[in-house]
Amino acid sequence: MSAHRYREGVKVSERHGAVEWLTERAALVALLPLSLWVASSAFTLAGADHAAVMGWFARPLNTGLSVATIMILSVYAGLAWKVIIEDYIHRPSSKTFLMALSNLTFLLLTATAVFFIVRLHVGSAPLPAGFGI
Amino acid sequence: MSKPHPDGAAAEDQTGRFVTQPNGRPRPLSPHMQIWRWHVTMAASILFRVTIGAASVGAVLVTAWLGAVAFGPGAHAAVTGFMGSPPGLLIGFGLTVVLFSFFLNGARHTINDTGNGLTPKTSNLLSWISVIGPVVLAAGFWAALMGAPA
Repeated sequence: MSAHRYREGVKVSERHGAVEWLTERAALVALLPLSLWVASSAFTLAGADHAAVMGWFARPLNTGLSVATIMILSVYAGLAWKVIIEDYIHRPSSKTFLMALSNLTFLLLTATAVFFIVRLHVGSAPLPAGFGI
Repeated sequence: MSKPHPDGAAAEDQTGRFVTQPNGRPRPLSPHMQIWRWHVTMAASILFRVTIGAASVGAVLVTAWLGAVAFGPGAHAAVTGFMGSPPGLLIGFGLTVVLFSFFLNGARHTINDTGNGLTPKTSNLLSWISVIGPVVLAAGFWAALMGAPA
């Protein structure tokens, strides 16, 4: 085990932990109003036809809040899964593997969702248009 | 740099009863559900972890719905049709419970993180709201949705 590194008399790992804790809190505070907005959006979009959904995503506010929600949720859920894995998985190799898997999953999920949202916002032709298939 | 400690077996323990601290000493594992006497604060706490797990699945489902919309009216109509069927409605109801659980339990967590609401009376009340509230709000959401003119 390597010796602890210190900066200004505080363990570097402790500063890192504090930043993660603050990130979790900030993300959760941002997600609380967003979750109410998601509920109201779900109410609007439940049962709506395709044209109505496309019209909804054409509005910049809806697109912006959708992208913000998926990004902040991924940051928050990624850190939450990290805490859960740290609490219940103790074999170092399994822990490293699961954390990498969790981070990769949320990265891919965010990229996929943003890709779809942007296409809906600009009103692209139905997929697989643009992929030459 | 791990030092010898009284219980050598704990270091090799893979049953999950002990973990080895960085100083080489064993300590009992973080609280697991079966160790604690049931209390509503414990239920609210573990339910928030469950909620985040379910919200992760929900994010995947919502992204799949975004994909269906992006694939055009046919795919979107298929998803809308499924969501109106009994299994679809069950999933939809579950997703709204998760959403309101995220809001109410997340609010409880945030209040407690600022050091407030930690007296037994208040923490019990906040926990009960976080446990029961989501089901009540989800029921109200669906009652309003079904009652709303199409």
